Amino acid sequence: MLDLFLAEFWRSLLYLRRYPLELLGAVVTLSLIFYFLFLGARFLAGPGAEFGGRLEAVLVGYLLWTFTLSAYNGLSFGLMEEAQTGTLEQVFLTPYGPIPLFLVRNLAGLLSQGLLVFLIALVLMALTGARLAFAPGVILPCLAVLLGGYGLGFAMGSLALLYKRVEQLLGLSQFLLLFLLQAPGTGPFALLPLAPGAALARRMLAEGAPLDPSALGLAFLNGLAYLGVGLFLFRRAVYRAKRLGLLHGY
Amino acid sequence: MEPLLQARGLVKRFGALTAVRGVNLALRPGEVLAFLGKNGAGKTTTVKMLSGLLLPDEGEVRLLGRDPFQDPKALRHLGAVLEGNRNVYWRLTPLENLVYFGVARGLRLKEAQKRALALLEAYGLREKAHTEVRHLSRGMQQKLALLQALIHDPEVLLLDEPTLGLDVETALLVRERIRALAQSGKAILLTTHQLEVAEALADRIAIIHRGEVVLEEEKGALLARFAGDHYVLELEGPVPEGALARLRALGVEGDGPFLFRGDGKALWRVLEALKPLPLKRVAKAEADLLEVFLKVVGHA
Repeated sequence: MLDLFLAEFWRSLLYLRRYPLELLGAVVTLSLIFYFLFLGARFLAGPGAEFGGRLEAVLVGYLLWTFTLSAYNGLSFGLMEEAQTGTLEQVFLTPYGPIPLFLVRNLAGLLSQGLLVFLIALVLMALTGARLAFAPGVILPCLAVLLGGYGLGFAMGSLALLYKRVEQLLGLSQFLLLFLLQAPGTGPFALLPLAPGAALARRMLAEGAPLDPSALGLAFLNGLAYLGVGLFLFRRAVYRAKRLGLLHGY
Repeated sequence: MEPLLQARGLVKRFGALTAVRGVNLALRPGEVLAFLGKNGAGKTTTVKMLSGLLLPDEGEVRLLGRDPFQDPKALRHLGAVLEGNRNVYWRLTPLENLVYFGVARGLRLKEAQKRALALLEAYGLREKAHTEVRHLSRGMQQKLALLQALIHDPEVLLLDEPTLGLDVETALLVRERIRALAQSGKAILLTTHQLEVAEALADRIAIIHRGEVVLEEEKGALLARFAGDHYVLELEGPVPEGALARLRALGVEGDGPFLFRGDGKALWRVLEALKPLPLKRVAKAEADLLEVFLKVVGHA
């Protein structure tokens, strides 16, 4: 399994090195979206408006969104691309089984995801003047969010495997993801996917709050539960795709 | 010898269509089974079920005694070139593809690297090891697809149209390599529309028609059975009227080469009738796979 991880990691590095413009394009697009929203909000609030800590909180939410986005839609886009280019069936011939392979592939893709978010953070901090207090402990709630993101990604990947063309649905559901990441992480909202981890990370990064162990536990519980649901749905989708002959073709 | 791959009673339905009906196949070490059929006969559906990519509605597949649908580890023993697929990543180089697929098929990283280089060398792709696949010719891509199936040294190979679109030289090389792989003990299922390739490589022939295997037999016995007792005769020069009349009386057809339908004893009467005309060739007629295929599919 370690060798598989290394091979997947190496493959993701090769793509990064060989097609750096794809990463650059994503950095520019995602930075501009936030910057234009920021400019729009400042225009509406008037010339003397100060956002105070709220700017940092919104920026953290946005960065978490970009981070989760690639966890969420990476599998679906990968499945659609492989079905289209005709490598999906070969991937399914792995003796590891498709689910362990895609889990390892997700894990190996963390570096490129992290790099993307890091670059966007640098660009947006420079453009908006926001300052983020980065505590290493914040990685933990981010990981919890990521688990939930992968869970939702596997759920969406199930649809991609069965129906192939889910780009529109992915596009629309990105906004739902934005809501989940900006939602409060307490009360009934704690049951929503991603919300508890995102709220904790936001508090830590934007307000410099310390790591709350109980909130972190809740965040991981939430993330693992949604990952479990996603994997269950994906397993069902693999069975159905094999029964109906849907692995081939686009 | 125990079969490495065995399928029993495979049935696959897509809605109202029954694509495969009760297919039984066994593949033993060192043999090439040519699996032939017209478009839509059920070849690819069967290959997909054999490789664990398509779940049969009835029947079972055993790969070295294990069910690939329940136990994906069984796939460690299988390599496949799937028709209509690219089979490899176009944004990676041949070396990167082979290393990746080697590891994804269960090899250690170092082992995959070593084997990838050896295979690229053996198949004349060493020079292109670091060129992205999308820049390679169709023939090279197809060769790489075969190497991808071989990288983990599986015991069973499912090759769906492995020589499709190859130039003559590369097709011959691939044919030679497939023969060598069988000689080294691999069990190979070869699906192709190129009947001359099947005839050159196969030990056994199976023909599928409308989802059913309508014929399965050793190649030699099959061709002999379809050839029957036919002889072809050629003479050095033209046949005089009188001799021609004698030949016609014995039932000889054609105008040179002549065709005689009869057994070995009756042939002597034909040779007597031709005496003393100089003969160029007397040979027992052979059926080719194309003829067999057309007859079987035509009558099925």
